[in-house]
Amino acid sequence: MTDQILEQMSALLDGELPQDQIGLLVRRMERDTELKRAFGSYVLIGETLRAPGGITASCGFATRVQAVLDDGHTALPISPGAHLARRAGWLKPAAAVAVAAGTVFAAVLLLRPGDQPGVGSGVATVADVDAVSNTVTDFAAADSASPTPAQSQRLAGYLVAHSQFATPIGRRNVWTSVLAQDPGIARVAYETPEDL
Amino acid sequence: MGIARPALALSLVAALCPVAHATPEEARVWLARMSDALATREYDGLFTHSNRRQSETMRIVHRMEGTNSIERLVSLDGSGREIVRTPREVHAYLPDRRVVLVEPRTDDGSLLKALPTPGAELDAQYLLEVRGGSRLLGRNVRIIEIRPRDGYRYGYRLWLDEKSAMPLRSEICDQAGRPVERIQFTKLDMHTNMPASETEPSVDASGFRWVRSARPGSDRRVAMAVASWRALKVPPGFRLVGSRVQSLPGHPMPVQHLVFSDGFASVSVFIEPGSRNAPAPAEASRMGAASTFTTTVRGYMITAVGEVPPTTVRDIATSLAPVADSGVSPPPAR
Repeated sequence: MTDQILEQMSALLDGELPQDQIGLLVRRMERDTELKRAFGSYVLIGETLRAPGGITASCGFATRVQAVLDDGHTALPISPGAHLARRAGWLKPAAAVAVAAGTVFAAVLLLRPGDQPGVGSGVATVADVDAVSNTVTDFAAADSASPTPAQSQRLAGYLVAHSQFATPIGRRNVWTSVLAQDPGIARVAYETPEDL
Repeated sequence: MGIARPALALSLVAALCPVAHATPEEARVWLARMSDALATREYDGLFTHSNRRQSETMRIVHRMEGTNSIERLVSLDGSGREIVRTPREVHAYLPDRRVVLVEPRTDDGSLLKALPTPGAELDAQYLLEVRGGSRLLGRNVRIIEIRPRDGYRYGYRLWLDEKSAMPLRSEICDQAGRPVERIQFTKLDMHTNMPASETEPSVDASGFRWVRSARPGSDRRVAMAVASWRALKVPPGFRLVGSRVQSLPGHPMPVQHLVFSDGFASVSVFIEPGSRNAPAPAEASRMGAASTFTTTVRGYMITAVGEVPPTTVRDIATSLAPVADSGVSPPPAR
C-alpha cells in the first residue's frame, strides 16, 4: 500500500477526493483485500475517536492506541489543506491501529448474543450504553461448523425474500449480510439455546 | 410530500427550543422522513457494514424512474457480489457461487400494504428519542434512538442528516444498547437524473446459473397443504400481518410465507415440504444481525428469519402448527 493510496483514502474520508479519483480508488479496493480492510479500519477508528461519547471503544482501547503511537508507528502521510490539523487528530491513531489491526480492530466492535427476553425490564438508557461500552463480550463460543453451500444458498434466498418486507433500514442490513464476502453465517446448535 | 410540513415545523420548533431529548412524536416524524428519503431520493454512497465477525465496504446506488425505484448494492470486497432491485425483480449476483438468485419484486403485493408504518403502536415495544448536536460527513445530524422494551427485538440508533433525513450511520443494538451491526457511510452524494448505467450490474453473469422462482400454482395440492399453518403463540407485540403461498428461487415446491411484525421489526416464516436435505436436528444461524431458525415439524421444514434476536425467530418457528382441520398430510416424496 503506497503513501499515495493512503493519502487518497484520507481525502476520501474527508470528502475531498475528486470524483474521478473516487472511481479509481473504488476499483482498486475491489481488487485489493488489504486495502479494503485498511479502509474499513480507518472509517471505524476515525468515527470512534471523533464521536463524542463514542460507544464502540473497548476497555483499554485508547491506552493500547497510545502505546502503539508511543512506539512510533505513526507514519501516515496527510494531504495538505486547512483540514490538516483536524484530520491528523484521528488519522494518526487510525494508522497505528491499522498496524496493530490483528489485536485492536477485533476489540473495536462489540457483539453480544441476544439477552434472554425480559418483558418490561432492562430498557437501555444512554447511561447504560456508556457503561457497557467498556465491556467486551464473547459471541464466538456459540459458533460451530459452517453450513453447506446449499444451505447457505437456501438461507440467502429466504433473506432476499424476507428483505422485501423489512423496513428500508432493515432491507439494507439484510442485503449487506447476503453480500458479505464470507457469508458470515454462524450456525449454532439448538441443543444450547442459552448460547443464542 | 405529506410529511414534509409537519417535519419542517418540528425541525423549526427543535431549532428554536433546543432540548436534549425530543418527543416520540418527533422521532416518528424523523423516521417517516427517513423512509421517504430512502425510497424516493436519488443517491450514491460508500459505506462500511461491520459486525464482530467482519467488516465489508459496499456501494449503494438508488435511482428513480418515474415513481419506480431501482437500487444497486455492490460489495467492494473482491467477492463481486451485487444485488440489483429493479421495478419487477430482485437479482442477487453471487459470482463466487456463479449463481444469480431472482426474486419477483412484491411492492404491489398485499403483504407490503399490510405492513404497519411507524406509528403510535411502536411506543408499546420501543422507547423513541431524538438527540441532536452531532456532525457526520460534515453535516449536522439528529440521532434517533429506538430502544427495545424487551429482549425480543433489537434497537436502532440512527444518525440522520438534518437536511435530507438520510441515515449517515445506523446501528442495530441489543437490549443493553450494545451494537450488533453497524452501517457507516464514508461518502454520500445526493443526485437528480442519475444515469441508468449507474444501476446496471457490473457482474458478467454469462455462464452463471439463474435460479428463478417456479411458476406459482405449479402444485396446487402442496400449495394447499403448506397454506394451512398458523402460529400458536408469538412474542409480545408481534402479529401476523400477511400470509401467502409463493415460489422461491431454487425451491421446486411452493412455500408458505408468513410475515410477523411489531411495527418496526419483521420476521418471515417459510414453510415447505421437507426433503432429504432438511436439517435435523433444528438449527439456528446468524447472518449479520439477521437470525434464522430452522426446524422440522411433521415432515415440513419451517424456517424463521428476521432482524431480531435468535430467541425471537426460535420462539416463532417452534410455535408453528398445522391448522387442526386442514387435513395436512405428509409431504409428497421428493
